Amino acid sequence: MTEKKSTATVDKSKENLIGSLIRVTIDGREIRVPINTTILEAATLLGIKIPTLCYHKDLGLAGVCRMCVVEIEGQRVLQTSCTYPITQPLNIKTWSPEIRKARRNVLNLLLSEHYGSCVSCGRNDNCELRGLAAEYGVDDYVFGKMEQPAYEIKVDSPIVRDLNKCIGCFRCVRTCADFQDVSAIGVYGRGNEIKIATFQEWELLDSLCVACGQCATRCPTGALTERDDTDDIWKAIEDPSKHVVIQTAPAPRAAMGELFGLAPGNSVTKQLNEALHKVGFDKVFDTNFTADLTIMEEGTELLLRLKKALVEQKPVALPQLTSCSPGWIKFMEHTAPDLLDYLSTCKSPQQMFGAVIKTYYAEKNGIDPENIVSVSLMPCTAKKFEADRPEMADSGHKDVDYALTTREIARMVREMGLDLPNLQGEEFDDPLGIGSGAGLIFGATGGVMEAAIRTAYELVTGEELPFEKLRVEGVRGMEGVKTADLPITKAVPDWKFLEGATLKVMVAHGLKNARWVLEELRAGRLKDYHFVEIMCCPGGCLSGGGQPIPTSPEIRKARANAIYTEDESLPLRKSHENPVVKKIYEEFLTEGPCGHKSHKLLHTKYTPRGSRLV
Amino acid sequence: MQTLHRTGISEEIKKLAEKYGKNRTSLLPIMHELTAKYGRITDEMMQETADALGIRPIDVYSTVSFYTFFNEKTKGKYIVRLCQTISCDMDGKSKVARQLENELGIKFGETTPDGLFTLEYANCLGMCDQGPAVMINHKIFTKVTPGGVHQLLEECRKGKLDKIADMGSVRLNIIKSGPILDNKETENEGLKKALAMSRVDLIKEIRDSNLKGRGGAGFPTGVKWQIAAASKGEKKYVVCNADEGEPGTFKDRILMVEYPHRLIEGMTIASYAIGAEYGIIYLRAEYFFMKSHIEQVIEDRKSANLLGTNILGKEGFNFDVEIRMGAGAYVCGEETALIESLEGKRGEPRNRPPFPVVTGFDNYPTAVNNVETFVAASLIAAKGAEWFTEHGTEKTSGTKLMSISGDCANPGIYELPMGVTIDEMLIMAGGTGAKAVQVGGASGSCVPASQFDRKITYEDVATGGSIIIFGPNRDMLEVAKNFMEFFVEESCGQCFPCRKGNVKILEGIKLLEKGKCSTAYLSELISLGQSMQKASKCGLGQTSANAFINIIQHFGNEILARDIQE
Ligand SMILES: Cc1cc2nc3c(=O)[nH]c(=O)nc-3n(C[C@H](O)[C@H](O)[C@H](O)COP(=O)(O)O)c2cc1C
Ligand code: SF4
Ligand code: SF4
Ligand code: SF4
Ligand code: FES
Repeated sequence: MTEKKSTATVDKSKENLIGSLIRVTIDGREIRVPINTTILEAATLLGIKIPTLCYHKDLGLAGVCRMCVVEIEGQRVLQTSCTYPITQPLNIKTWSPEIRKARRNVLNLLLSEHYGSCVSCGRNDNCELRGLAAEYGVDDYVFGKMEQPAYEIKVDSPIVRDLNKCIGCFRCVRTCADFQDVSAIGVYGRGNEIKIATFQEWELLDSLCVACGQCATRCPTGALTERDDTDDIWKAIEDPSKHVVIQTAPAPRAAMGELFGLAPGNSVTKQLNEALHKVGFDKVFDTNFTADLTIMEEGTELLLRLKKALVEQKPVALPQLTSCSPGWIKFMEHTAPDLLDYLSTCKSPQQMFGAVIKTYYAEKNGIDPENIVSVSLMPCTAKKFEADRPEMADSGHKDVDYALTTREIARMVREMGLDLPNLQGEEFDDPLGIGSGAGLIFGATGGVMEAAIRTAYELVTGEELPFEKLRVEGVRGMEGVKTADLPITKAVPDWKFLEGATLKVMVAHGLKNARWVLEELRAGRLKDYHFVEIMCCPGGCLSGGGQPIPTSPEIRKARANAIYTEDESLPLRKSHENPVVKKIYEEFLTEGPCGHKSHKLLHTKYTPRGSRLV
Repeated sequence: MQTLHRTGISEEIKKLAEKYGKNRTSLLPIMHELTAKYGRITDEMMQETADALGIRPIDVYSTVSFYTFFNEKTKGKYIVRLCQTISCDMDGKSKVARQLENELGIKFGETTPDGLFTLEYANCLGMCDQGPAVMINHKIFTKVTPGGVHQLLEECRKGKLDKIADMGSVRLNIIKSGPILDNKETENEGLKKALAMSRVDLIKEIRDSNLKGRGGAGFPTGVKWQIAAASKGEKKYVVCNADEGEPGTFKDRILMVEYPHRLIEGMTIASYAIGAEYGIIYLRAEYFFMKSHIEQVIEDRKSANLLGTNILGKEGFNFDVEIRMGAGAYVCGEETALIESLEGKRGEPRNRPPFPVVTGFDNYPTAVNNVETFVAASLIAAKGAEWFTEHGTEKTSGTKLMSISGDCANPGIYELPMGVTIDEMLIMAGGTGAKAVQVGGASGSCVPASQFDRKITYEDVATGGSIIIFGPNRDMLEVAKNFMEFFVEESCGQCFPCRKGNVKILEGIKLLEKGKCSTAYLSELISLGQSMQKASKCGLGQTSANAFINIIQHFGNEILARDIQE
């Protein structure tokens, strides 16, 4: 296995900075830092806390909220610590009457135009504005209070926009433009009239928005939240005629604990099973099962494409691009409608599960699919969009009725008064409750690729992947674009044509990197590659737009760790060994992967969106 | 999915993109061309432009919404913009406004049903010595009287607007000239001498002259050029800040109309000093009327080998200048906002450091200087540093063009040595008896009569040239209100203290007007103003509360005791 490092990356690091250290004094304490370290970073190293509001570790610097101002000796005005690069020795104070006055005035100004009640706000448990107002004791509305909303709340997509709560920090705009390179939203107008807008104020999904929700996980207030579908779920649960089932994806399980006081990096899979049973779901299933199914389908699809190319010498779209990330799919439909053939036709695990529940499961258990309410727990806001796509009804019903985010399910669990981390834990339900570790690692960037390699290698060579603990290190980690080569030295008769070939794969996460991949693809520079995994969200599903807030590079790493650790604790680590997968091909999808029935239920078509000019 | 109807404008926009370059920098020029031809920028044009420039439609939409000279909705064939800023206001703007509404039968912000006229307010048109001023499309008319409004509109109705000279009725009004304005004939002597010097010596000369930036901030020009010269970059830029938006300032207008050669000579000298090959003049949209005039000068200089390659035979010294138009945003005078604007973005000031001399236009080292700074620099190159230091104070040398307006007998341009007192200026301008003088424009400071012995220099009261005189009968609260209205409209809206602070202060002024403001609340507003001064991101927010704070300080009692009209 060889690894190549790529240039396209969203990680910004100071590691490569050379040069001498500069001595600065902050609140009387000295520290030596590399040139261009910001004052905020230096203060953090000293354990000095400076309040911030527009700053976010993942994003470019705006320097607009002015909460983080500090005094630099010899300077006329206060400076923002989040933006100020240290290039010479400085004497800095992070606390003075002037600073306190400025921060309180800023908070007072914000409160004067912030309409909405904290009691009913989806972000009341972790709103940064509310936190700072409390910290600074700003509670007297010196500059007045909004009595009427100024904006209508927009519920036109999985992302709900309530501009009455927007403080104009532009984090969302920076997320969408710089972090995701989508630019669905921007700042409109000037002065105090500015607002966050889509092009021509179109509905969010009509703009370039892919519903990734990354903006919502970085919004400091309740201005951007997920569409809350929990009321509908409660209703379904309370309706005795409904059979309510839920599938849970791996990423939420690795992060849900954060919403119940656990440090990032602690999986709560079994506790969550118990909680969901207590909430009233009739069955709790494991999305990892359809992740395994995806590997069978998508892996077979890839091998068939390879066969077509290498044996039949026919033109075929290679590399094959993964299709399990709905934000990525919409992005591709907008950005590269001409390249849709490269996408795998496989539905995402969520949608495969939905189709299986309302057909195989319904038949097997004699339940009228009409009465099944199929719910999913997902790390992702785009999954709501995906579930609502009109073509996602191959079972004859809406495949997935509701896609709920980690945050929504946490609310339901909390409403039940359950202390999640301290539950005993329960198993998944039969028959769709078995998933492999390969399915589990779908939650992290590179996971789909690693799972595919574990299976494909074994199917093609007849031998287990010869890596320590089945780890495919080359596709793990947070680098923006990762590549790996997998030489096939011998092959079983069916796949003899692959003997001697080297399987070349690429993994990208975050749409900024995805755009780069598409540009490379269009320029014909990916001809050597066979399979490319792309996840919409940086870090993969574990940092999806429905995951706990806040997010940061450290938190994402911790969640990835939790996922890989859980994988290694499982007896079953390869998709093709999943007994339920074997069974479904024996009993239901009898033509095997990519057969007729699979194609009807588990595969899909895409919509070229492209230019809006007609 | 939302779709846009294609009307066939695609080819035209692609051609414009070819002409200006297929990148975001071309956004403002393309928007100007479309506006001039079609009167508005449609959603289709935005999408097409985004496609042609390789950016997203939201980028165009968001940028267009920032500038007052771009509009999405159809406006009249003639856009009549009445200047509402302080000097024109004091010269009787509201009476002209009333008559415009009467004649057209519409209110401000509206368009006549026949689609001929749109009535709008503009902020400072730079005609403060000859207000009230009206801009109709690209032409400017000054000293407009209520009685003259009808005639003006008739000219438009008869289609005669285009036949009026570019300058409209704009006058120069140079009342007192000095070493700079008197030296018209030494053209290009500075450039020749500069090219005979080494870069190091040239910069030293400028440093020795003690020339400080004439745009208002007063940064030593020699130091700026030295840093720019030392900055590493594949390319470098010289940018002339011709945005002249500070209320009460109109001296750059005179320089660009009467001394354009001198300006471009100064830019050429700067380019030689720092090693730049490209120059850009960022000209405010309000000064459209002089664009072709300056372009002609640029062409003439190219023909005379004063621009272009191997200038004046100096092997390897190349320099070209082009004009880029602003689009109605005072904040774009702030140098980093100006650069953002040049890059085709919203005019939002950047975080500093890094400064433009290190990371400027297109991230290359960029020296941004005021028009007058370049003019002075070209004369310093011609006549030497000592010639310049003969005038002015020890720390701030030279003479400075003052734009004097307001309540005085002789408003206009005065070239005066740095260090001149306010009293001296009042005598010259026929404004004695004034109760206060605003030095430095809306963002400057309001000096009461008791301090008229103060000097105009960067060590005492600083100004980029704006001097506005308030006579004994001026209502200072109305002055403060006019200023705050200006800042509320002109704040870019980026940073929190300025975005919302100006609005709160203006609301407070309205309470004072009604006699409904408690002293406690007034002190909250002053505290807010002080935080804005300390914590805002750019010079706009750092100064916008100055006038309000000064006026409350000096005229607080008068204001609280005023008669309230119900
Ligand atoms: C809000 C604001 C508006 C400004 N407007 C102008 C302007 O119109 N013209 C100008 O030369 N400088 C203006 N400046 C100052 C510029 O930022 C900058 O300091 C100047 O162009 C530097 O040139 P100088 O050193 O030659 O003065 C403005 C500054 C601020 C904060
Ligand atoms: S959901 Fe994603 S694509 Fe949509 S506006 Fe937010 S960041 Fe942009
Ligand atoms: S919506 Fe949220 S993230 Fe975006 S500007 Fe408003 S407060 Fe900031
Ligand atoms: S001070 Fe005002 S103009 Fe300057 S960046 Fe802040 S909001 Fe914009
Ligand atoms: S956190 Fe530094 S300016 Fe907002």
